[in-house]
Amino acid sequence: MKKYFIVFTLSLLMSERLIGAEAGMPQLDPKYWASQAFWLILIFLTIYLLIAKIFIPKIKGNIDTREDKMRKDLEEAKTFREEAEKKLKLYEELIKKAKLESKKIISNSRQKLNEDIQSKKESVQKQIEQEILKAEKEIKKFKLDSIHKVGSISENIVSDLLIDIFGEDGNKSSIKATVSEVVKQRVTKI
Amino acid sequence: MAANPMHQFKVHTIGPEIEISGVNLSFTNASLFMTISGVLIIALLLLGTREKKLIPSKAQLLSEMLYNFIAKMISDTAGKKAKPFFPFIFSLFVFILFCNMVGMLPYSFTVTSHIIVTLTFAIFIFIGVTILGFIMHGFKYLKIFVPSGVPLVLLPIISIIEIISYLSRPISLSVRLFANMMAGHTMLKVFGGFVISLGLIGGWLPLTFSVALTGLEILVAFLQAYVFAILTCIYLNDALNLHH
Repeated sequence: MKKYFIVFTLSLLMSERLIGAEAGMPQLDPKYWASQAFWLILIFLTIYLLIAKIFIPKIKGNIDTREDKMRKDLEEAKTFREEAEKKLKLYEELIKKAKLESKKIISNSRQKLNEDIQSKKESVQKQIEQEILKAEKEIKKFKLDSIHKVGSISENIVSDLLIDIFGEDGNKSSIKATVSEVVKQRVTKI
Repeated sequence: MAANPMHQFKVHTIGPEIEISGVNLSFTNASLFMTISGVLIIALLLLGTREKKLIPSKAQLLSEMLYNFIAKMISDTAGKKAKPFFPFIFSLFVFILFCNMVGMLPYSFTVTSHIIVTLTFAIFIFIGVTILGFIMHGFKYLKIFVPSGVPLVLLPIISIIEIISYLSRPISLSVRLFANMMAGHTMLKVFGGFVISLGLIGGWLPLTFSVALTGLEILVAFLQAYVFAILTCIYLNDALNLHH
């Protein structure tokens, strides 16, 4: 259909008599050609000048500022991210250091504590030993004392017995010797 | 009125007849609809550039999309050298698009359905591109008619074909747009006429067709504006970057 029209109009254009106008195509009536071309040029020129001088720079400005803003924002975001990453690294390092330090502190204090415990144990042990020694000494002393006491008491008892039985006091030195011998035998047995 | 589908293309004066040295330059309905299209374009762009928002409003988004669309079209077809012609291509595309779209409104007039309008554009582009080619490359621009890698025997024929195709550029460019618009609008009118003449019972079929055609014509309106602009870019590319 359109091809037909193209051929049709072309053939009409080529014929100089412009029969088209008579055949019913107002487009081929040259009466208003000059007017149409004139007004077209006038109006198109106006539009062109307005677009070229005002609108295109404005639109371009708008687009450019938007792109600028976007680029700037993106760059800013990038720097922020880098900074954040740096901070994260720093933070991780700090944590690592802190962990190491705390470990050190823990092990140190543990060692100290152990040493402390050890030394305290030792001192307590020493004290205990000393106490034991002291006690042993005391016991020995008591033993000796008691032996002596037992001796004198036994002598007294023996002399009292001799008085009760025989009615007279025996030889003091012989009693003492006998008693001490017996006590020695008994006590050493114990 | 329904009888003649060509009636919609009739031009008539609005207001007084203006004649300057024997040439009729009256303000016509064609001029009126050119003005309406122009005013709509300016209104859209004014709305689109009124505020400088980071997140654009609808009008701003539309104008920025138009800008990016045409910028991409030019850089894809004509390269970086065509940058100074960006405003021209932008205006051309937007003007033709708006004229086509305004023409889709019922009872309106389609400016681009007149051969003189499209021919004015095409001849201007043709002359401009030719002058630009000679400015950029001097007489070497004539190489455009001598494609490289063609056997010597074929060269005269090829050159003649190239010259003919070059010279027929303004005609093909203008007739493509004009014929598309005229054919579409004529068909719409014809089918609209069928709806009336077939009445309430039989009119539904052409009405359906009419609706479908309207959609198609809107597509064509956009497509033809795009084709016109992109062909202009291609011609510009030929003049700016001599590939042949």
